[in-house]
Amino acid sequence: MGSEIKVAKNSSTDLRLSQVQLDREVELVSIDLPDSQAEPLFERGFLPGCRICPVRSSPSGDPIVDIDGSQMALRRETADCLCVKALRDLKGK
Amino acid sequence: MSPTEETEHLGQVLESSKDIPLIALAGAPNSGKTTLFNRLTGLRQKVANYPGVTVEKHVGELRSGDQVLADLVDLPGIHGFSARTLDEKITKDVLEGRVDGLKKPDAVVIVTDSTRLENQLMLVEQVLELNLPALLVLNMADELKGRGGSVNTNALSEKLGIEVIWTNGRTGEGTGAIIEYISRLKDNDFVPSNDIKNPTTAHKLPVLESFSKRKEAVKEAVSDAEFIPPEPSAVSGFLDSLVLHKIWGPMIFFAVVVFVFQSIFTWAVPLMDGIELLIETSGIWMSEILPDTWLKSLLVDGIWAGVGSVVVFLPQILILFLFIGILEDSGYMARAAVIADRVMYRIGLQGKAFLPLLSGYACAVPAILSARTIEDDRDRMATIFVTPFMTCSARLPVYVLLIAAFIPNEPFMGTFLNQRAGVLILLYALGIAAAIMTAFILKRTLLKAEPSTFLMELPPYRLPSVQSLGLRLLDRGKIFLLRVGKIIFAVTIVLWILTQFPRTELGPPEIEQSALGQIGHVIEPAIEPLGFDWRIGIGLITSLAAREVIVGTLGTIYGMEAADEESLDLQSALQESVSFPAAIGLLVFFAFALQCMATVATVKRETGGWKWASFQFFYMLALGYFGALIAFNIF
Repeated sequence: MGSEIKVAKNSSTDLRLSQVQLDREVELVSIDLPDSQAEPLFERGFLPGCRICPVRSSPSGDPIVDIDGSQMALRRETADCLCVKALRDLKGK
Repeated sequence: MSPTEETEHLGQVLESSKDIPLIALAGAPNSGKTTLFNRLTGLRQKVANYPGVTVEKHVGELRSGDQVLADLVDLPGIHGFSARTLDEKITKDVLEGRVDGLKKPDAVVIVTDSTRLENQLMLVEQVLELNLPALLVLNMADELKGRGGSVNTNALSEKLGIEVIWTNGRTGEGTGAIIEYISRLKDNDFVPSNDIKNPTTAHKLPVLESFSKRKEAVKEAVSDAEFIPPEPSAVSGFLDSLVLHKIWGPMIFFAVVVFVFQSIFTWAVPLMDGIELLIETSGIWMSEILPDTWLKSLLVDGIWAGVGSVVVFLPQILILFLFIGILEDSGYMARAAVIADRVMYRIGLQGKAFLPLLSGYACAVPAILSARTIEDDRDRMATIFVTPFMTCSARLPVYVLLIAAFIPNEPFMGTFLNQRAGVLILLYALGIAAAIMTAFILKRTLLKAEPSTFLMELPPYRLPSVQSLGLRLLDRGKIFLLRVGKIIFAVTIVLWILTQFPRTELGPPEIEQSALGQIGHVIEPAIEPLGFDWRIGIGLITSLAAREVIVGTLGTIYGMEAADEESLDLQSALQESVSFPAAIGLLVFFAFALQCMATVATVKRETGGWKWASFQFFYMLALGYFGALIAFNIF
């Protein structure tokens, strides 16, 4: 992962997965983690361009998301490192 | 293949499997791979370990009539080949033919849960890069179709360049197609049936690009095959809204943990008592019919009693694994790991450590093995390190004996709790506290690292299959008996020999004069500050085999036969020779010290060397020693 991954802080596009509301589908832009920590995510389909939709949260408030038809639980800290962008055409759920 | 060749082949089957094709079954966890494996092989399977590691190798025979079509190897469920876990490493090694005693598979059957096809195709892509002839199995077809999903298998097959079939692991539908594929392979003398696109390209790319490339291929495949994902399962959604609910979730979690505990400590008891009685009476019976020689003493007092002390724990282990099996196969274990993760994370562990720690209350050996699913090496190491602090069932007989001898049976905190029960609970808490403290320190010193990525897939809830549960219990029971039994067997023989020498004219020496007694005297100065004498010293040494062995040893030393924890005489003998503070110290010692060679041996194998195993042993010994010293001085 090169320098293109670094997202300018405080920019308006700097939306993180951890901030996304339930049932709002977003697109993954980049993963702000070193390769060693990002690889498990890549392996499970968390790749730039993929669609992620938070479907519920765990009792401790960690996100559970739908990705390619699978449900994955992450930690807030990890979700904080996933830069996403909102999709314009929201599917009415 | 001509008929003569076929008969020749049959003759070789039992001897060597060189000429029998080897077919590997690969797939993600919870894809129904093992259920299919069991359906295809039935009970004709063997479990062994891969050389040098404790990952289990499941190999079975696939038969058609009385002809063996192929040997099947069921690989561990994995998500990819980044080789973060032992399971991933082994899977890759098997598929590339780099495992001793197992030839390179002639083909791989990739099992996927078709309801999560898009996600699982990422793994399929990675397996296909290995360039083996492959068959893609879309399992759980009924579920996919039942929830309105569909896929065009012909198009998918064309896109991926391999055959694609539907199956229903639960009913066995479609297994015929797998058998047919394999027998066709055999007739074709293994001409690779797939022309994979250049397999090397993806490997050479940087991590992100190689995965992006695979993802692109997956996207194309699902779109070409007109994959319509199933509607989300209403049942799973409803169950998750309870199980992961802010309030109900943790309550259900605790209820499950308490239930599992309750069952391993209550339901298992009559079975354990039964086994104990059986071993005792058969021991008496053996000593009656055997001639009075040293051999009888070795067989009855040494081996039979020693191995018996392990067999007693079998019901508990089996009940624990029955529950773990149900929890895993149903999909609840993944939720439990998610719920436990936050707390575990604070102390330096992670959600997947929940299963090993829970199992540790029955026995640390299978618990340490189950830490294998933890991808992060440091997390796994820390989990393995603290698991033996969980109060395993071998500590219970020791606790029961000492508590009964030294703690009055009086109410404590009103009528709510009895003092004895209170002390028992405190000892459990002591183990937990030591585990938390140790994990906390380890993750800030030796195992310091960036926080690992915790990623847990929540599979749809499913009913566990009775056959799979049964086979799993059979496996677990065998492994436990073999692994632990072997060590106890060896240690009890050594201990027995030490009690037999030096010989006197009358036969074996008094225990105090025996080699073992002399060792007890040698270590006496070291344990004197704890208030222990040479007798306890011997007990501590023999308990290295397994903690509860100290009960029998003390019984022998105090000159009593068939001492068990209820024995009043052993209790009064203990009260005479051990002071109250020393007894408390002894309890603390047992709460901390790693008095279990089977665990040490398991840790050595799982961590790949003596470094961690010996560090853990001496660390826990030191904690036990100083804990006992403090207890002896303050009480």
